[in-house]
Amino acid sequence: MREEAKRADRHREVRTAARAWRRAGAIDQATLAAIEAAYPDDRARLGPVFRTLAFVFGVLALDAFFGVIALATHGRYEFGVACLFFAVALVAATEVLTGPLKRADSGIETATALLSVVWALVGMGVLLESTLDSERELLPLLLGAGALLAGAGSVRWGSPVLAAVASASIFLLLGQSPGGRALWVLVALLAVPLLIRGGESAAFPPSHRRSLQVGLVLAITALYLATNLVSWDRHWLESLAVPGASPAPGPALRPLAVVLTALVPLLVLAFAVATCRVLLVDVGVLLGVASLVTLRAYVHLVPVWAVLAGSGAAALVAVLGLRRWLASGAGGERGGFTAEPLFEDAGRRRSAEMVGALVTLGPQPAARPAEAPGMRPGGGQYGGGGATGEF
Amino acid sequence: MNADVADAVRALERAGTLPSEKARLFSRVARRELVSAHAELRLVAYAGVLLVTTGVGLLVRQNLERIGPLAIASVLALAVLGCFAWVARQAPPFTWGESASTHLAFDYILLLGALLTAALLAWVEAKFTPLGDAWPWHLLLVALLYGLLALRYDSRVVFSLALSTFAAWRGVSASRLHHALWTASPDLVRVNAAACGLLFLALGALLAARRRKAHFEPVATHLGWLLLLGAAASALGARAGSLWALVLLALAGVVAALGVRQRRFSLIAFGVLSGYVALSALLVLSDAAAGLLFWWFSLTPLGVVALLFVGHRMLQEPS
Repeated sequence: MREEAKRADRHREVRTAARAWRRAGAIDQATLAAIEAAYPDDRARLGPVFRTLAFVFGVLALDAFFGVIALATHGRYEFGVACLFFAVALVAATEVLTGPLKRADSGIETATALLSVVWALVGMGVLLESTLDSERELLPLLLGAGALLAGAGSVRWGSPVLAAVASASIFLLLGQSPGGRALWVLVALLAVPLLIRGGESAAFPPSHRRSLQVGLVLAITALYLATNLVSWDRHWLESLAVPGASPAPGPALRPLAVVLTALVPLLVLAFAVATCRVLLVDVGVLLGVASLVTLRAYVHLVPVWAVLAGSGAAALVAVLGLRRWLASGAGGERGGFTAEPLFEDAGRRRSAEMVGALVTLGPQPAARPAEAPGMRPGGGQYGGGGATGEF
Repeated sequence: MNADVADAVRALERAGTLPSEKARLFSRVARRELVSAHAELRLVAYAGVLLVTTGVGLLVRQNLERIGPLAIASVLALAVLGCFAWVARQAPPFTWGESASTHLAFDYILLLGALLTAALLAWVEAKFTPLGDAWPWHLLLVALLYGLLALRYDSRVVFSLALSTFAAWRGVSASRLHHALWTASPDLVRVNAAACGLLFLALGALLAARRRKAHFEPVATHLGWLLLLGAAASALGARAGSLWALVLLALAGVVAALGVRQRRFSLIAFGVLSGYVALSALLVLSDAAAGLLFWWFSLTPLGVVALLFVGHRMLQEPS
């Protein structure tokens, strides 16, 4: 990242925090203005709505533009070369956007950066395909190139999206090799402490810290996938490799997978709570849910409805209990945690909740099932929680 | 930990911009010495509601005959009573204005009670058919119930469910009419969607004008525009598609203008997206050459992006 972009990135972090303080009424308008003056941000940024639109229209424009060029090319070689040229042009465009034009968080530079990697990989794939014996040889090359290009792009432009592409490419590449499962565990275990430290280090600007946090989430997910019992029994990771190259995991270590399926989410959650890391709390909870689903896949002691209703009721009771426990602590906090919203953006949270409720809980305007000619009365559909509770 | 904010808080305190007491709090948050679990707890509560209602739906459907009507009705009624007893204990007094939240799980327990009540009503309707041939009306009853609960307990989430249930009621009725007439009639669903959209927009305007739960207005307005634009967009593939594209374009212009006037960026997004869809549909429906379409889709989105930057300069959406 350019120095001026790093500085603007750090200043933006402070300005964002100050606006949250203002929204919560913790500071007045004059203080906010003073903070914004002390931490100027020279980047042209867009808000979330405009940014999303700019990204969508940017991707549409660039892909359609390249489509026109591709139509004019003849033969695979020319097409591959055109892809690489287009990728280089997009790299240049991203440089101009993030450099002289001072764009950041505006959607368009994310579109050019992402598509530069995508089209470079397409071009390489097209050009290399004819020189290699099989597609199985091509895939590791493309994954390796994807990891390098996306990683470099993420470092240069501070893009968490490219960091996600790079991290995913690395693990998929490891999955191609014999013993991919062991490599996933090993690399994830080595990477997690480094990524935790890097994701909070003052040496990195906020965009790089976010990129490292994206990598952290993917590394923990990879660790979990490598040790999860379903993944173990169904050979998910071995199916990524060349057929026969990575042998199926033996039964001797299966008990370890059983233990780790339960243990990994608990360890993540315990570490997160002990060190007040909310991101890891979220990851731990999600992995815990995945482990409960895994448990349900193997153990059928109670019917599905009882599992769902029981776990839902348990979740609600846990929320009520935790909230009460936190609120009853000195100053409404315990162990560094509080149930108060602090400086969150309530407007955005409310919008997200309403959209979520509409999507998942809205009833279906479906016709009554088994409606016989002449129409019998009774029926309708109750769609709570995505349940198709037809009566 | 957010090192940049922590450093800035220290510097701002030294410069006298932030008073020490505030700076201490901000610093604790930036240094991760104080962390809010508010969002996480709400998310888990929401997931809990989702799981319980799904589980109850399955329970009733799979065990209707085995458990028996009395047991199911009793369990559901008890659960509903439990939810509403808790809600009534926590609820602030009624006001036409916005009331402060008393508990982070309040909205979710209310939502659970409302959804379980709907399940109970649907089950009663299925089992005893009190509405007879007019069975779709039970959705209207549920919508009204949701609406009353939303007003009393000041819940935007339940209000949005009330509106979507009302729209679903119109969908159900349209399906039945379609069935009765033995004719494919997607137009009827479209008309219902548009009518619901207009009704919601009017409701939103009324709420805002009368200052009665004025903070519910954005919910009604957004849902209203979605239905109205969706109704017009769904007709693009039908007969007279070009005419509908013009209608969609006109609606897009109105919603975008309103968005600009009221500085509502989501409405501007509705306008931009639907306007672009309408213009593209006009071109596609005019049997334009493939080359022209490629150029259209490669050049015009850049124009939209440029327009967005100009719009941002004028309106300054908070980033």
